[in-house]
Formats: sequence, C-alpha cells, structure tokens
Amino acid sequence: MKEPKMPVKNRFAELHDDITAWRRDLHEHPEILFETHRTSATVAEKLRAFGCDEVVEGIGRTGVVGVIKGKSTASGKVIGLRADMDALPIHEQTGVEYASKTPNAMHACGHDGHTAMLLGAAQYLAETRNFDGTAVVIFQPAEEGGGGGREMCKDGMMDRWNIQEVYGMHNWPGVPTGKFGIRSGPFFAATDLLDIEIEGLGGHAAKPNETIDTTVVSAHIITALQTIVSRNADPIGSIVVSITSFETSSKAFNVIPQRVNMLGTVRTLSNELRDLAEKRVTEICEGVAKTFGATARVKYTRNYPVMVNHDEQTEFAASVARSVSGDCDEAPLVMGGEDFAFMLEERPGAYILVGNGDTAAVHHPMYNFNDEAIPAGCSWWAGIVEQRMPVMN
Amino acid sequence: MPIKNRFAQTHAEITAWRRHLHQYPELMFDVHETAKFVEEKLRSFGITDITTGIGQTGVVAVIEGKTNTSGRSIGLRADMDALPINEATGLEYASKIAGKMHACGHDGHTAMLLGAAQYLQETRNFDGRCVLIFQPAEEGGGGGNEMVKDGLMDRWSINEVYGMHNMPDYPVGKFAIREGALLAATDQFDIVIQGQGGHAAAPHEAIDTNLAAAHVVVALQSIASRNVDPIKQVVVSVCTLRSDTDSHNVLPQSVKLRGTVRTLDEDVRDLAQARLQDLVTHTAAAYQCRAEIDYERGYPVTVNHAENTVYAADIAEKVVPGVWRDTPPIMAGEDFSYMLNARPGAYMMIGNGDGPTVHHPMYDFNDDAIPAGCSWFAEMVENRLPVA
Repeated sequence: MKEPKMPVKNRFAELHDDITAWRRDLHEHPEILFETHRTSATVAEKLRAFGCDEVVEGIGRTGVVGVIKGKSTASGKVIGLRADMDALPIHEQTGVEYASKTPNAMHACGHDGHTAMLLGAAQYLAETRNFDGTAVVIFQPAEEGGGGGREMCKDGMMDRWNIQEVYGMHNWPGVPTGKFGIRSGPFFAATDLLDIEIEGLGGHAAKPNETIDTTVVSAHIITALQTIVSRNADPIGSIVVSITSFETSSKAFNVIPQRVNMLGTVRTLSNELRDLAEKRVTEICEGVAKTFGATARVKYTRNYPVMVNHDEQTEFAASVARSVSGDCDEAPLVMGGEDFAFMLEERPGAYILVGNGDTAAVHHPMYNFNDEAIPAGCSWWAGIVEQRMPVMN
Repeated sequence: MPIKNRFAQTHAEITAWRRHLHQYPELMFDVHETAKFVEEKLRSFGITDITTGIGQTGVVAVIEGKTNTSGRSIGLRADMDALPINEATGLEYASKIAGKMHACGHDGHTAMLLGAAQYLQETRNFDGRCVLIFQPAEEGGGGGNEMVKDGLMDRWSINEVYGMHNMPDYPVGKFAIREGALLAATDQFDIVIQGQGGHAAAPHEAIDTNLAAAHVVVALQSIASRNVDPIKQVVVSVCTLRSDTDSHNVLPQSVKLRGTVRTLDEDVRDLAQARLQDLVTHTAAAYQCRAEIDYERGYPVTVNHAENTVYAADIAEKVVPGVWRDTPPIMAGEDFSYMLNARPGAYMMIGNGDGPTVHHPMYDFNDDAIPAGCSWFAEMVENRLPVA
C-alpha cells in the first residue's frame, strides 16, 4: 500500500512564528520538577483559547490535560499525545536573547520545544477537528527525575479520559533537523537509584587500628561493583552501574569517618538485568562491608522502568514520520531514562525522536531547542491523530 | 524446496562417515587421516579436481556444474579438527584416542559437506563451479587464515563463501543467522609482572607482585564497566594467574597472567587493547612493579555480509521454515572470519537439539541435523548458480 503523502502541513508554516514565540517565552521562564506553575497556567490558558472541549489542571500535581473531540466521535477511539514541561537545574550559558531569566534553571532538554509543538498541534486540531475520535493532549511536569508521568497515571488519567493509545516525542541533537528516528521494543533504559550507607567505627586518623575505616570499605565496594557489568551481566546485554556521589561523615584531615554515604544509578534495558543488578548491588555492598567489619545499608529504588515501544504503534508512528519527512531511521538504544515509560506500561503506544540538528547535547549549558524542527514535530502529532482516527467519507 | 529426498537416502551413509570421523579425532593442523578420508570420499563420488595441502593440511575440491555460463564460483567450507578433551559420552562410536575428541561437531560439519558434495557431483544441476573447502585448525590455529594466505580465494576464483556451525540448545535442523557481527574477535594477552621477590615475613623489603597482579585483575574490570559504550559488547577475562613460587613463605619475583579479550567491532577492539595496555602498565607501576604485555590479535570478528545473509536465510527458510534471522551475537570466535574478510558470504547456525554445549566432554553432534544441513549447502549452490 502506498503511504498517504502528507508532508509538513501548510498551517504549521503559518503558525511557525507563533509557536516559536511561545517556545522562547517558555525558555525564558524555566521551572523545575513539579514547580511548573507558570508553564502549566500558560498551557491551560492557550488550550482554552484554542477552544478545547475540556481543560483540566492539577493532574499529577501540576500536569494539564486538554480534550479535543473530532468532527465525529463514532469510532470511540481516544489517543493521548504527551509533552513534558519541566526544566533542569543548570545555569544557562547560551547567551541567546531569550535565555533563562532564572539563575540555575534552564530548558536544557528541549521540553520548552516539546510543549510548544504540542500546543501548536492542539491549536491546529481544535481548528480543523478532521478526525473521528478524541485527542487528549497531556502536558506533564517533572520528567527530569520526579516521575511526573507516573503521578499523572496514578491520578487515573488513562481511565478518566478512556485513553487507548499514547504517543510521545523527544528532540535529538546530532540528527538532521526534523528527521525522525524510532525503534520497537526496549528503547530507553530503566533508571534505578542507589543509596548506600556504610557504617564503621570512626576515630583518630593516627590510630587506624582502632577504627573500622569506612572510606577504605567504600573504595572496595566501588571497585567490586564494577564486576556486575564485567563479570555478572551477559555481555550481549546493556547495563551501567555508576557511583555518582561519595560523602564521608567528616570533612576533617585527621578523622576517620564513622559513616560514608554513596549515591549512584543503575541503567538497564531488560527486567532480567535489572533484577540481577539489584541482587548483586545488595550482595556486594553487604558482603564487602562485612569483610571489613562494617555494615552496609542499601536502598535500591526502582525508578523509571525500561521504556518499551509497542510494535504496532511503533510501525504506525514510523509511517506517519515517513509521510512527514520522507523517511524514518531506526534509532539506537539509549541508556538515558524517560518517564513516558510509565504511560507506555499502562497503554500501547510509541515514543519517537525528532532531529534537533547539530547542537550541543541535551543537559549541556549551551544546548538549545531548534525551532526549525517545529513544523515537522507538529505535523507528526497532527498526523498521528488524523491517520489513526480517519474520518469516514 | 524442502529437504532433498536424496539426503533421506544418504542419511545413514553420511551418519556412518560422521561416526567414523568421531572415533578418530585429530587436533589442529595434524588432521592427516581426516584429510585423507575426505579426499578418498570425494574421489569415490567421481570428483577429480582435488588439491591437498592448502593451509598445511586443508583440502580443496571443485565440482563443475552442467554449464558454466555464469563464470561464478561458490565456496562451501567445513572444518575438520577436534579438541584436546577426554570424551565422556560413553557412545559406541566414542573417540578411540585418549585426550582428543570431536567436541565441537566438526565431524558433523565435514560429513555434511561430504554429503552435499556427493549430491552435487551426482546432479551438477547448477551453472558455475562449486568449490569445497575442508580446513584444519579452526580451534585456535587459524587454519582458515592459512588457507586464505595460500591463495585459496584467488586460485579458485571464489566469488562467495558460505559456512555452517551446529548450535546446541536449538531445535534440530532449524536454522539461525544474523547480519553483521555474529561471532567475536578473540584476542589474547600474556602479562608478566616483575617486582622484587623476598621473604614473606619481610614484605617491606620486597615488591609484592601478587598484590600488583590482584590490582591489575581488578583494574581490568573497568574496561567493560567504565570504558566501553554499554550498548556495545566486550569481555575481558583473566584466565590464568601464576606466581613463580609455590611456597608458603616466599614472595614471588614475577607473576604471569593470561587471558582473552572478546569484541564485536574493531573500534571496541582497539579501545580494549589500548586500555588494557595502559591499565596494566600503570597499575603495575603504582605498586613499583614492571609489566611486560604481549597482546596478540587472534581471529577477527565474524561479520556476515548483508546481501549474502539474506540469500542464506531465504534458502534456509525453504529447507526448514522458521529461520531465526536475528540470533544474538556469540562471544566465541570463529576463523571462518578470515574467509568472510576475503570474500562476501555468510555463516549459518544449524540447531543441534537439546544436549551439552560445544567443548563439553559429553557433547555429541546430532546426526538428525544432517539432511537439513546437506540440503542447505546444496541449495546454496543451486540457487546462487541457477541453470538458465
């Protein structure tokens, strides 16, 4: 079957300047985690102005949900489209005229662009309503570590709006602007959190024989943790175990600390490796600590799960991407996490990447969302709705 | 195009060849009796263009098709060598030679290629030439490389080359393959750490090489855990660690370590080698020792060519439906990689059913895989060189 040719919609060429202005306004006013109050209010106000049938704030604390009914809703289908709104605790260094006005807060992951593109698509869909079913636009807070997606699901979003499929999009530096990439199955990693406390016996640094030195114990633990990747995990699989923070309970030059606290992360792309990592991290910390007469308390927190794209929806999402941009690449596996994973655990759907061109990487103080990607991104959102819920003639 | 009827008829005969080879395993390049057996069988089929002594003890034979308007030659390769393992199967056709065993199924590979040769010589139902390649020393000797160095590909004008290996724990006779890297590059290293031996009661007067070696082993773990992209694959294993004394009260002057590095692409291979050299050198230095490193690059990555993988899988699908086209890469090595670096081609896996894994003293090749394996070899020739 020949795919319907539906390149970038003309309407988005007209709206490009408006959407860019919204994006830059959001960029100037970044908000962290669940504190996306101004952003959420701006989104809700725009959705109401577009004439959405329903706009509800306060889902998942500061999330916003908008409902746009098609010309007809005979199909009974409901599709969710999701963007994230939160920024990062980074001090912007881009020097652009619309740079962050808030110190140590920055849209360094392009969520400003995601939100603006979904707003653009919402405006178009509310104007045209050229589909048979219902589009639910989902604006979530706290993607960057807070699990805002999980909170929106916990608030009953999927059932309340009877959402049947859900789609998301992320910009991707290093890929030509507006070009899409996607993959079926596991895509982004599970991101678990390690919180390790080693308790020994503090004392005078000149009398180590009277102490149980928690710094030495912790150094051995960090070294031993390397073997989860190098010795325990199947080399064909993908796993990262990183200790990221190390803090002794004393800051002195001459005190052996009573306690060491370490933080870290485990990234995996399968539940088997995730289970293995949790078991081995615990065994290694407790076992090595015991070797030196210390004790370990390990808190292993399962945070974002593996983000798994569903086969059928991935193929559909890729076909829409091809109709917009001509082709769609197979995206590589990503060891970063993404809390859209929670939505994909509740409903079938797919997550797609859209090229951000030759820019700094996400989470870098020189990063900036590329406004040239807006028409392609908006067209993909609109295509998902119109092609998944076509109007019968 | 299912399994060819002819192989149902010859199944018992091919099984008998396989079991004969199984009883008389030979190692590395010393496959003289096996090569002689292969040569005699090929002659008995009526094949006359046979060359021995390629890659020391390899055998190459040519079957001319009915016609040769294509001017093309397809190479089919089997390996002949066994392993230095004491067989424990208790089978009536078990190895008659102590300490040697066909524990990797090369007896089956050789027998299947002989079976296919018999059929192809009988029927010649193809347009071009089939070049049969029987190689020695797959198990660590690089027999495949020796045959390529002896001019195998050019001398016989081979255009494409195909090989097959049995796969335990996969249904008998079913096929599995993947495009790109299928088997790993297998490098090996020998490290000598030199310190200062001495009395174990006076460590402060010695430079303890055991301690330095222990730190080296630990440091090497960071190649996989910290240096290589987690999406990619690497294995670094220290397998042997030996101090130059076996006493209870002497600190050794030197320690030898030996191990292997497995990778699935050349960039990771370069990175692993560079990191190993730095980690060993500087860790040893940190403990006042000196390290000598002999890093030897072994078999390269076995990379299946895209187009040929599709041919191989499509033909396998017709022989036995349900080909697994995306079987995961295997961190073991395979010296067919040298042939695939010289010519386009593909390496196919064929299920050996339930049973011990290869290189295990209880392993045995599964003769029930023979008809499917022979059919695939024969169909590769007939389909890649179709008669007009």
